[in-house]
Amino acid sequence: MKRDAVVAFSFLIAFLFIAYAVTARNVLGLGGTELRPLGEFYLSHSFAHEGLTSHSPEVVTAIVWNYRGFDTLFETFVFFLAIMGALSVLRLDGEQLRQARELEATMPHRKMDLIVRATTKLVVVMIIAISASIALHGHLTPGGGFQGGSAMAVAALLLFAAFSKFTLERKGLTLRHTISAYAVGLALILATVLAPVFLYGGKILEINLLPGEAGLFNLDVGEYTAVTFGFLTVFLVLGIPEWVFKNVLRRELND
Amino acid sequence: MIELHLLILVIVVSFGFVFSYLAMKEHDLLKALALSSVQSTFFALGFYILAAPDIVLAYLAIAVGAYTALVILAISKTERYEVGE
Repeated sequence: MKRDAVVAFSFLIAFLFIAYAVTARNVLGLGGTELRPLGEFYLSHSFAHEGLTSHSPEVVTAIVWNYRGFDTLFETFVFFLAIMGALSVLRLDGEQLRQARELEATMPHRKMDLIVRATTKLVVVMIIAISASIALHGHLTPGGGFQGGSAMAVAALLLFAAFSKFTLERKGLTLRHTISAYAVGLALILATVLAPVFLYGGKILEINLLPGEAGLFNLDVGEYTAVTFGFLTVFLVLGIPEWVFKNVLRRELND
Repeated sequence: MIELHLLILVIVVSFGFVFSYLAMKEHDLLKALALSSVQSTFFALGFYILAAPDIVLAYLAIAVGAYTALVILAISKTERYEVGE
């Protein structure tokens, strides 16, 4: 225990020393450098009205979805692969899903307090409004599809915790629906990415050809939908209790 | 002369380090998870001081919300207490 404290304390001292050296003494030469040419290009072009513009005063979103658009596109694909991996490892087929439903229905139903449920309802409405404003204003103010989508996923998580997974599934938030909504979001992204090729004869992801800020807005909305429902899909799949899972798989072995 | 916001940055990130150390040493996994989300809150403050609001929005939602929930789901499938040293 003594040794741990010494190690932790020396790490902290080292960190403080490095922070002091880098910021105050400017050892690495990072402080006080003027704008590099690439940064100048982004700043001057992202809200220009001609040339390689993104029609967006929010330079970060312009870089993320336009100037470095392929990075974000492939990141979306990586997210897709992660979700497909989780689904294929943890999936249950039709008959097994029915058995899991039956087993889950036998679980004792615990209900949260009235105070918790009422507060959660209020907070969820607020979070949904904020996430929509983050995502739909992503091309004007800080934020964007991914940030809004993850905030929205948090709202759904609060609902999971305060009510139960089964309540939400009864209300229509089933795996089939979330996967369909996820596919819609991905389709919107792909359509926006391919639109310049088919409509204007440009290159893939050349969204400055689209009228106004339509490109960035569509990509943000698509990412918002995709991330929200992608996270929800994972939570719905992981939310099946372990003993139900084991029970169903054991029955499959016995058959 | 060190500017004030850099000083605040150092303090906030040091708190983040302290909490990440506590999270590593904790044997109750749920408590460790709570400590790690405190640590991410401090790091989010640090990102805000570094003028990166886009990162703050994503980082808070992922690190405090989604990551915590995923790890709680994972813990619920194993055991709560880490054993052995």
